[in-house]
Amino acid sequence: MSQAITSSITTSGTTISNRHVLHCRMQSEPAGLERLCRVVRVRGFRIAGMSVESSGEHFDIALTLEGSRPISMLQSQLLKLHTVGEVVLGAQQARSVA
Amino acid sequence: MNGAQHILQTFQQHSIATVFGYPGGCIMPLYDALVGDVSVEHVLCRHEQGCALAADGYARASGNLGVCIATSGPGATNLITGVANAFQDSVPLLVITGQVPSELIGTDAFQETDVLGMTLGIVKHSYLVDDADSLPGILIEAITLAQSGRPGPVWIDIPKDILLTQVNPETADHEGCEHSESTEPRTDSATHNAAIDKGINETLRLLREARQPLLYSGGGITLAGAEDSFREFAEHSALPGVVTLKGIGNPGRHNPNHLGMLGMHGCRAANRAVDECDLLLVFGARLDDRATGKPETFAPNAKIIHIDADSAEFNKIKAAAVTINANLNDVLRALTREVQAQPLNIEAWQKQCRTWLTTGGFQAADNEEALAPITGPAFVRQLSRIAGDDTIISCDVGQHQMWVAQHYQFNHPRQHLTSGGLGTMGFGLPAAIGAQFAKPGTAVINVAGDGSFMMNAQELATIRRYRLPLKIIILDNQCLGMVRQQQELFYGNRESHINLDDNPDFVAMARAFDIPALHINRTDQIRRGIETIFAYKGPMLLHVAIAREENVWPTVKPGGSNRDMMENTKPAKKKTEENAA
Repeated sequence: MSQAITSSITTSGTTISNRHVLHCRMQSEPAGLERLCRVVRVRGFRIAGMSVESSGEHFDIALTLEGSRPISMLQSQLLKLHTVGEVVLGAQQARSVA
Repeated sequence: MNGAQHILQTFQQHSIATVFGYPGGCIMPLYDALVGDVSVEHVLCRHEQGCALAADGYARASGNLGVCIATSGPGATNLITGVANAFQDSVPLLVITGQVPSELIGTDAFQETDVLGMTLGIVKHSYLVDDADSLPGILIEAITLAQSGRPGPVWIDIPKDILLTQVNPETADHEGCEHSESTEPRTDSATHNAAIDKGINETLRLLREARQPLLYSGGGITLAGAEDSFREFAEHSALPGVVTLKGIGNPGRHNPNHLGMLGMHGCRAANRAVDECDLLLVFGARLDDRATGKPETFAPNAKIIHIDADSAEFNKIKAAAVTINANLNDVLRALTREVQAQPLNIEAWQKQCRTWLTTGGFQAADNEEALAPITGPAFVRQLSRIAGDDTIISCDVGQHQMWVAQHYQFNHPRQHLTSGGLGTMGFGLPAAIGAQFAKPGTAVINVAGDGSFMMNAQELATIRRYRLPLKIIILDNQCLGMVRQQQELFYGNRESHINLDDNPDFVAMARAFDIPALHINRTDQIRRGIETIFAYKGPMLLHVAIAREENVWPTVKPGGSNRDMMENTKPAKKKTEENAA
């Protein structure tokens, strides 16, 4: 009944990588962007694109990510960062096959 | 008042009475402020790793914040293993390091390291203080954050010049600390409460439908201070239950439906029950790989209900039918009221689990051969019988750690200090030191292996300096036993760099630190050895020579399924003969 969460989606040995866009707002702090990028990497995603805008005391960050794990797991982990206020999933992009 | 003096004042205001540290260049202003200060007891360990692990043990034993202090560069890097250990096991720690003066940061100055950068992955949060006026707000925020929600280490790196700069807390900048009181989930509270109520109702519905429901609890019970409400629920629901390594002690010693620890070195009864259950209620656990084994075959017939303070743990390893992100106390009390009003009908399942426990629990018989070599399980069972109900056992990592987990009967989870997530050899001795400071009137025992003991043996000097009455027991098999065991079972018995037969004379070593010690090597000496160290008023070391070839049983091949756990296939007598030869 219960299902294991698999770390990749495979079809005939091919890993299918999904592309996602995440919009994050976080407090501006010296290591803020490093924290964010570290979590993305450790939790199994690759940054395909990134834009950052500073608005007063916050960073607004748009991350284009590739990875085969559920994006909701990354959202949960990013929200655990003390200085991250919100993480919103943008429209899902076309899947790429690696 | 300068920054260093303000730190001590903040400690006093937050009832932080004990800190573990080691001085050095860039933290010297704080050590200068400690001169003549009577509000904080500073414990000088002999290595920064010892400081971090002692602060960890202090926090685990007391439930309060542990604090460690070190200088920049090597002081900070030496803390890292201890801080990573606390992070993995969700232990509340405040870490303070000195940093090179602000104008030297980035110049490759003497004892400069990028502490903030190198520790990002092992802290709940961290700060590099760049303005003295921000220090008061950061300190308060860090103390709160380390202990709130899912606890963890928070690290403050403070340049030396800021420690020396005058700070006025009245005019200090508290901006940037708006999250300091934000310990609740970041959703509308009405929406969140409705989700909790819905989750509880769904849990009750599934619980009443289930024929073979099982309770699964971990370290989150203690972190939430939910031991009492957990025991009430376990008692009134009468659910058969299993625990993780960090959940040991949750149900107490006397719950008749408790099956023991599950997982790689869990008992067959516990793993069998998980394999057969049709509903798994997971409280305060993250379903880590040592507990679940191969996730695809873990609890294959069960719907999972996952209740935890950290929603990021949901659906990470196993998909859950119901998730509840809430204070465990609230959920347990609500469920208890319901099962008290309408008891569960699971007698057949309870009976089945008790049968499994009879045949597949950790109840191996004691060796009755007086002259036989001592085995780890036999020693730990004796220790458990002789030690008092409140005794704290601080383990290192390896075979002895698993024998303690399997065979010691813990009454409360805070009695069992063990490095669960990181598996840090060398944890036990400094953690025991921290625990003894936290609980000065309680018996504290470090159960170590010979490999682990040598990782932080310098802390014998700390025990001597403070005349701590803790006891040290070294189960010495003259090898890295857990590695040897895996090489035997899974690498064709090819032993590779595990031999420690050139260990020092541990008895002489302890005596060199003015700690009395004795040696035993036969089964009939176990009781007297344990009673002797308990009877001695000060610190004492018991060196126990155990059989080299003893394995931890049962065991699961790394990456394998718990249902495929391996049992001991060697007759005990044959092993004794081999040992004698």
